[in-house]
Amino acid sequence: MEEDNKITDKKVIETEVTMGTVHSAAIEPYRVRLFVEDEIVRDAEITVGINHRGIERIMEGLPVEKANSLTEKICGICSNSHIWNSCLVAEKAIGIEVPERAQYIRVIMEELERLHSHMLYLAHGNEVLGHETFAMRLFYIRETVMELLRIIGGNRVQYGVSIIGGIRPRCELDEMRIQKIREGLNLIEEKITEFADRFVSDPMIMSRITGVGVLTQKQAIKLGATGPTLRSTGVGIDLRSEMESYAPFDFDIITQNDGDVKSNLLVRVLEIPEAIKIIRQALDNLPEGKITNRSWEMVDAPITKSYIEVPRGTLYHSYALEDGRVRNSIIRTPSIANIGAMQYATIGHHITDAQLAIVQCDPCFTCTDRAIQIIKI
Amino acid sequence: MTVINSIITVIGTLIVALLVSIWLPGIERKFIHARIQQRVGPPISSVGIMAPIKFFFKQTIIPNSPMPRLFNTLPIISLLSIIAIFLIIMPQLYIYTVLTSIIAVVGLLKVEEVIYVFMGSLSKSVMSLKMPFPDIVKGAKHYNIQRSFLEELSSLRAFRLIAFGSFPLYIALFVPVVMSKSIYIEGIVLYQQINGPILFTLAGVLGAIVFFIGYMILLNEYPFAILKTKADVIEGPLMEYAAKYRAYLYVTRGFLMFVLASVFTTLFLGIPPNLFSWNIFITIAVALIFPILMAIMSAFSPIFTYKQFYPTVAGFSIIGILAIIFTFI
Repeated sequence: MEEDNKITDKKVIETEVTMGTVHSAAIEPYRVRLFVEDEIVRDAEITVGINHRGIERIMEGLPVEKANSLTEKICGICSNSHIWNSCLVAEKAIGIEVPERAQYIRVIMEELERLHSHMLYLAHGNEVLGHETFAMRLFYIRETVMELLRIIGGNRVQYGVSIIGGIRPRCELDEMRIQKIREGLNLIEEKITEFADRFVSDPMIMSRITGVGVLTQKQAIKLGATGPTLRSTGVGIDLRSEMESYAPFDFDIITQNDGDVKSNLLVRVLEIPEAIKIIRQALDNLPEGKITNRSWEMVDAPITKSYIEVPRGTLYHSYALEDGRVRNSIIRTPSIANIGAMQYATIGHHITDAQLAIVQCDPCFTCTDRAIQIIKI
Repeated sequence: MTVINSIITVIGTLIVALLVSIWLPGIERKFIHARIQQRVGPPISSVGIMAPIKFFFKQTIIPNSPMPRLFNTLPIISLLSIIAIFLIIMPQLYIYTVLTSIIAVVGLLKVEEVIYVFMGSLSKSVMSLKMPFPDIVKGAKHYNIQRSFLEELSSLRAFRLIAFGSFPLYIALFVPVVMSKSIYIEGIVLYQQINGPILFTLAGVLGAIVFFIGYMILLNEYPFAILKTKADVIEGPLMEYAAKYRAYLYVTRGFLMFVLASVFTTLFLGIPPNLFSWNIFITIAVALIFPILMAIMSAFSPIFTYKQFYPTVAGFSIIGILAIIFTFI
């Protein structure tokens, strides 16, 4: 222990300031220990595990359809991503071919989810910045996306669109729904452009977010950062460019170079028009045909893996199938990969900026709480 | 008879001031913040009137503090110091010349500021409490580091604000002093009755701008709310106040808004608060305009950290000094 302190305490650490597990700036339960010297953070430790629900354990032995539905409960923000990836594992393991129309509708849902996730992120970021007006504005714009999700899935969260072999019949896109999505997208595009213009031209906000929470490209790679957090450091990795479902669509991978809060916010802001572009392409070229492939039979399968790009980064699901039941399920959400980056980003900044540096990585700790180790005290 | 009249005027003006001040936080929240943010907002009477009444009748919880009685008394001292400022600027008390000087106003405002340091130092909320067993995870890099309470952190910030944050306000207060060449409120008011309001001079305009920034800093309003930033210290020194002591805090804040506006009208317009003068409406109008302007500014600002705070304070202090220099021209 002493040796550890010698290594890490090259700078004098005077005081520890602990925030959480319940704190007004944290929308989820987690704890951050900030080691400060004259209100400047010298080191940080983030602790998660407070909201562990053991979903993988519950999935163990469940019929695969039921287990897939359960994955949707992992996260309220990216519920579609989880059920989609879980279905992809089963489809890959069993060898099911998903109809093209279903693939398009899944992409539309995923991109709508990306829109609302990014807007929630921007709103939360602004709230932590202390700019409540912008936060409220973003929640207001986000309502349109939530309404579109409700129109397709029937719910504002946990839409249950994907099933093994395609999508649920109730989520089929008819002309009326397509028209509403188009109108909604036009409105979102107009409002978000207006917001982005005001946001980047506000000197007070720029002063608060420029050069704060800097994560270098080298550190981001070393710490295993993923998604927009990694892309904000100039690394142009987006798994969507390698995913079969996204092959028909043309979109740009957004990157920024500074790795600070500003870059992180801008990556998300600029990804919103790209998501809208993908949805429009999907609506324009939506293939005719069935939406579900029901001609498949359950087989036993070894552990099968699937990676997809979700709003926060790369999402991993894997499980094996035995008599139609799930075995050895493992889920890795993007936030767990970004925790190292969050800790690193706080160092060297004022305590008030520490929460901002954490929030810039878009944490979702509730879905991160996958495994827990009980330590005997 | 004159003494009785004076007492009636003082008490009457004080009551009117309190009655107006309890509406100010509601106006700020309902008509400005909520309108700008396109939401309904709270009822106008909720923040300044109904909330204090509600808190006043709640059960008093003894806070976790080394000196709970002193801790709970601090909001009352703060309220009394603000009432004292209001009395000082009233013309009926100008007979006590030594007391009714700008030095007394500055001193009492400092009391209000220093109280935040005590509040933070004497508060130990559950937000940063250390558990009676090792509450750090396996693999933690740092052990046995002294843990600071969030309120202690805000107390440190309050100390810094005393050191530099209130510069603009105090510089602005001395613009009328230099112009009228009198530290007495009576002298400043008389100067303006003869020469016209200081506000209508270049030095006065600059002084008023600086005063307004100081007003926002003293009220800990966004973007100058580092004392109670939601991102870290949450409510700061006020976190542990409950029941009637929180009610006192709410009343104090509303009354401070009114009193600072009255100080402004007295020093920059030559209109001290007086119930039996039509000029009381000017004081009330200024007391309404200031929170409205403050609410508009705060609605469009993020919270400043020291990186933004220091240059802003330095910049407005320089403008304040320029205003003082202009008084000689």
